[in-house]
Amino acid sequence: MGKRNRNVGIIGIGQTEYSSHKEHQNQVEMVNEGVRYALEDANITLDDIDCVLHGNMELFEMVHQPDMWHSLGSGAYGKDQLRITTGGTTGASLVCAADNLVASGMYDVVMAIGMEKLQEGHTTGGITNMADPLWFRHLQTGALTATTATMMMEEFGEERAKRAAMKYRIMMDKHACLNPRAHRRFGLEYDQTDDLMNTSPQLVGELRLIHMCSQSDGACVMIFASEEKAKEMCKNPVWIRDHITVHREETFNNFGIEMPEMTHHYAARKLFERNGIKNPVEYFDVFEMYDPSAWWGLDWAREFLLLKDDEHIKLLEDGEFDLDGKLPINPSGGVTASNPIGATAMLRPAEAAMQIRGDAGPQQIKKEVRHALASGFGGTLWSVLMMLEKDLDWQEV
Amino acid sequence: MAQYFGTAVEDIFNTMEERFLPEGTVDVDVTIGYNISGEGGGHWKVTIKEGTLKTEDMDGEVTDCTAVLNANAETFVGVTLGKIDAGEAFSSGSIKVDGDLTVLIAVLPKAFRPFKPVVKASSIVESVEERFRPEKAEGVDIKIGYDLSGDGGGQWTVVVKDQTCALKDVLDDDCTVVMRMEAQVFVDLNQGKLDGATAFTSGQVKIDGDIGAAGKSSSLFEKYVAEGAVEEQGEELISLKCVPSINQRYATGPLMGTWFNGLKEKKFYAAKCPECGRTLVPPREICAQCRVRCNELVEVGPDAMVTLIDVVYYASPDPLTGKIRETPYTALFMVLDGASRDESFAHDLNPRDIDRIKPGMKVRPVWSEKRTGSYKDLLYFEIAD
Repeated sequence: MGKRNRNVGIIGIGQTEYSSHKEHQNQVEMVNEGVRYALEDANITLDDIDCVLHGNMELFEMVHQPDMWHSLGSGAYGKDQLRITTGGTTGASLVCAADNLVASGMYDVVMAIGMEKLQEGHTTGGITNMADPLWFRHLQTGALTATTATMMMEEFGEERAKRAAMKYRIMMDKHACLNPRAHRRFGLEYDQTDDLMNTSPQLVGELRLIHMCSQSDGACVMIFASEEKAKEMCKNPVWIRDHITVHREETFNNFGIEMPEMTHHYAARKLFERNGIKNPVEYFDVFEMYDPSAWWGLDWAREFLLLKDDEHIKLLEDGEFDLDGKLPINPSGGVTASNPIGATAMLRPAEAAMQIRGDAGPQQIKKEVRHALASGFGGTLWSVLMMLEKDLDWQEV
Repeated sequence: MAQYFGTAVEDIFNTMEERFLPEGTVDVDVTIGYNISGEGGGHWKVTIKEGTLKTEDMDGEVTDCTAVLNANAETFVGVTLGKIDAGEAFSSGSIKVDGDLTVLIAVLPKAFRPFKPVVKASSIVESVEERFRPEKAEGVDIKIGYDLSGDGGGQWTVVVKDQTCALKDVLDDDCTVVMRMEAQVFVDLNQGKLDGATAFTSGQVKIDGDIGAAGKSSSLFEKYVAEGAVEEQGEELISLKCVPSINQRYATGPLMGTWFNGLKEKKFYAAKCPECGRTLVPPREICAQCRVRCNELVEVGPDAMVTLIDVVYYASPDPLTGKIRETPYTALFMVLDGASRDESFAHDLNPRDIDRIKPGMKVRPVWSEKRTGSYKDLLYFEIAD
């Protein structure tokens, strides 16, 4: 673990609704909406903010320096401001950066803004331009691949794997239907499993349209404060315990005869080791995971929770990832429901923190939530994993 | 049943209950008689009392009401739908009211939501030829099948060819694309009550055949507007579209330069890590596992063994041309002969092998005739028999 100079608490969270179209407002107005909600939630004003962090997916809106344009709505005028743009993980990187800035003593109160307006600019243009221009750009098909589906069907049998992925997807939709801000809320039922498994259009192999995440517009804003300030300003701050960031060189070279340890697994192994977490399924009360598709969500549960063989599928089949299960995954509905990319990875700790506060709304887990896990994901299998706590009572390892 | 402007007289009375607004009639106590003459006409008595509604179908001429309206069927439907000017109908005497005329003017707008004709799936499909936009169909040759189940459903084929459009009330076997759904889902989609992407993704709409054609077909037709319905005017939102064209140029550096030169001679060069021995394909300057510089280049391939196969059905644009690729196409992951086991190489598969390709198979590269040192020097891999 890096040296933590002082503790950092989350004292304000603001989210817009997520939808495929936000034509009623421009980017500045959308950012402003999120900022207002976060300030209101923290019961403070812009005067209390020392520094503003801004993040979105580079190139997606095809605007240079969006942080400058958005300062009209973000309130960054006259304050220190930094822009963070790390692809899919942007939202999570914003939280890590805010934590680092406050923990270091540089600032007492930092506001971080994750935003995306995918209907503007050109998403595919942005995503294909991210790959190495000399070679890999030619291979890039956007974010779509069925390699995980293929490998899961090989390992667990086609029928069981397909059924489990669809159960995961329908569970996410059921969670999303509770979340008033979620973008896609289909109202899927488990008796549609067979139908959707076989008839939803195939995108790549067994990755079907229904499995895949949405493209959403929206903003998420979080406010962070030093322990002293957080206790002074907020009744129930949520504490950031630790976070880790891991990534690989490339992804096209990962599918040889032998496969390297996955970034998610490496991140979890290192993070839990240094925090003395022996059994993550028992320890954590909620996991908000960046799950870009149902196949990935299910497969990654095994990696992040350090499970073996089919333990993750059994937990799913037994309902242990449901809202009333042992470790609920994505009460918010996750990324298959809402995916405003620059905000998506911030929604994970934001929703997890709301679960700890107990004010997540209709998707609130009934039993007490004290320990939360949140992940971010991006190209080159970039993985960010973060632990949040209700109380400042953890033991240093 | 006789229809006027696509609507029967009794449709208007049959929908009164669902259109009734109790909160608008709390202080009201009236009876209204309707004597509608002509084909499809009849006699109705409507009682509105303190937020309640009673509609009675009467055997004969209705009298003794707060107000009695007499009109022929066409006029009555036309006025209700707003197709015939009510004031003119009164002035010209084609509508006559006995009793308290103000009841109709003061009470009715508060008591009922406006009547909207019931839209049937068949009306939407059957109007397809009128709604066809030949100017959008240049070079289009498709057969779109509709298989609509449930109440009001049916099967149709819409043939678009040579900038003409023809409707058949059977489902042809050779449709480019067939869309299957409940008739009501179809109606809701066409009336903008249901979002197409949502209906499709959630399984309410099933599409067999060319999904791309299904997506494009909507631009071939004007939007359906129900007969008698007045299209609601939304606020006009201004959006601007711009299409920038950006030329890009990149230096390869020495290792990738060697790689591209190798392709000209049908050779693959990998960088070998001095620590772990991993072969990096295409070559990279640093082994990211060991974090050391790789100076040694080794030749690998040209044949390879397939490890993983991605069959792509969703047509994403080619990032370099912007053109939509032909689907399905196949992305192959493979280990080149002589390369390390944990280093895969990715490229396309010859489309003719798509049904036969399996993991573990041997594949060989197929080269372009004229090689210039670019990605395009390598056309694809194919099964090495």
